[in-house]
Amino acid sequence: MITLSSYLAISFALFVCGIAVMIARKNIIAILLGIELILNSAALNFAAYTRFVNHNLDGHIMSLFIIVIAAAEAAVGLAIVIRFFQIRESIHIDDATQLLQ
Amino acid sequence: MFDNFLFLSSAALTVCGALAVVLAPNLMHACTYLLTTLIGVSGLYVTLSADFLAATQLVVYVGGVVILMLFAIMLTGGNDNKSVNKFGIEKVAPMGNAKTFTLAGFSALIMALVILKIIANVNKATPKTELPPYETTVEKIGELLITDHVLAFEISSVLLLGALIGAALIARPRRREE
Repeated sequence: MITLSSYLAISFALFVCGIAVMIARKNIIAILLGIELILNSAALNFAAYTRFVNHNLDGHIMSLFIIVIAAAEAAVGLAIVIRFFQIRESIHIDDATQLLQ
Repeated sequence: MFDNFLFLSSAALTVCGALAVVLAPNLMHACTYLLTTLIGVSGLYVTLSADFLAATQLVVYVGGVVILMLFAIMLTGGNDNKSVNKFGIEKVAPMGNAKTFTLAGFSALIMALVILKIIANVNKATPKTELPPYETTVEKIGELLITDHVLAFEISSVLLLGALIGAALIARPRRREE
């Protein structure tokens, strides 16, 4: 029952949900939540393929680096969101229309 | 038996959490549902015999990224879902309205069709071989990280240092010049 296809289906569901969150929400932090979902689906795909097709550990290393880069991305992204909130007093994506302060 | 149970419960947790992130009307609740999704993905890693990955997922995502997100939500005024900005001008509600959800549904549908087309071809080509038994991967991953992948390892440490300094610089309080 536990096959490659089942993992691909779960990863597919995560990716589609992430896309829907990114387009439906207008709050910057909610959009970052969607990005986390998409990164997780990619990492899950790497781990599933390395278990069922490759039989080595390269996919695990790749998933590990995806997790590391997602953590760095979340830290910098949320710092930018907090700075944006200090300047504009809003985290609505439609208010982000200027590069100047 | 145990594998099947773990797989089914983790898959249910993951997919239901992701759907709840899409549909939750409250940003704080959406962030909490993301937590259940991440725990479910960690359980899926365990069924893939990726124990080190599962532990990393729990420590970094559940203990780090989601807490950071919750802090950012609370620092930026939480989950007010007003559709009027501070000048009284109407705008789209921050958590989306019927129009944005329709748009997102159509985009996700197109995306889903494209991905299903790709996955269908992949499934036919997958060879059916005997799976290796479950064993711990920590030792081998440690060896690989300092032999084959040492360059990527060092670059990621520099990346993390840069992200740390950059985040601290960007988010520091604004200086009053006037």
